[in-house]
Amino acid sequence: MLVIRRKAGESFRIGEDVEIQILEASGGQVKIGIRAPRDVPVLRTEVWVTAVQNQKAACAAAAESLTDQIVRQFLTLPPNSSSSSK
Amino acid sequence: MPQAQTQQFGVVDYQEEDAIDFPLGLPAFEQEHLFLTIERPQTKPLVFLQSLCRADLCFVALPLLVVDPAYKLSVSAEDLRVLGLTEFLESGRQPAIGTNVEALVIMAVTNSRPTANLLAPVIVSLAAPGDKKPSRRVGVQAIRIDRDYSHEHPWGPEPC
Repeated sequence: MLVIRRKAGESFRIGEDVEIQILEASGGQVKIGIRAPRDVPVLRTEVWVTAVQNQKAACAAAAESLTDQIVRQFLTLPPNSSSSSK
Repeated sequence: MPQAQTQQFGVVDYQEEDAIDFPLGLPAFEQEHLFLTIERPQTKPLVFLQSLCRADLCFVALPLLVVDPAYKLSVSAEDLRVLGLTEFLESGRQPAIGTNVEALVIMAVTNSRPTANLLAPVIVSLAAPGDKKPSRRVGVQAIRIDRDYSHEHPWGPEPC
């Protein structure tokens, strides 16, 4: 991972069109401004991860084998036993 | 009685108050605002989260507490507002599963194993008891900002 040190008010660019500016840094939090073209999606990482995961989950074919797997899983468990595997 | 067209279950009759409104949609499916939960005796305890607008869009889900009975909710202020649970904003407490909200996890397959997205459980408001004309239930996929839970929590035994 590329590491850059910047202070509040400073900025850097990614490619031709994207500019990232550090607006404020205090108390373990940073406020960041992003200037990018409209067609460049900007998402918090956890939202992006969930979007990818939802797309995977929504795949109908996957859903059917998934249903089978989970149902089989429950059928192999004795009643009232814990279903989590840790 | 309204009917839902579904790819997996054919035409399904449902009660209007069983439809869940997702004002923000779900990440990657922001245009899908109405879902129905479908449960079948032969696939219990699975819950199918079926889109009311797209017959081919159906998520396989499990009750959150089935996957992790010790799960600690962390619903953001923004999501609490969407759910209309503003009383929890002031108290700083989290809603209780079963009492204040229903919680589901969306399942997927990762390396041929079922995995649960514990990073982002689906939280649905429960209709207030005694409501004569219950307003439509509201849902949101409540993405955590901490790193306490995985988006690919393996579920079930190791494959043979």
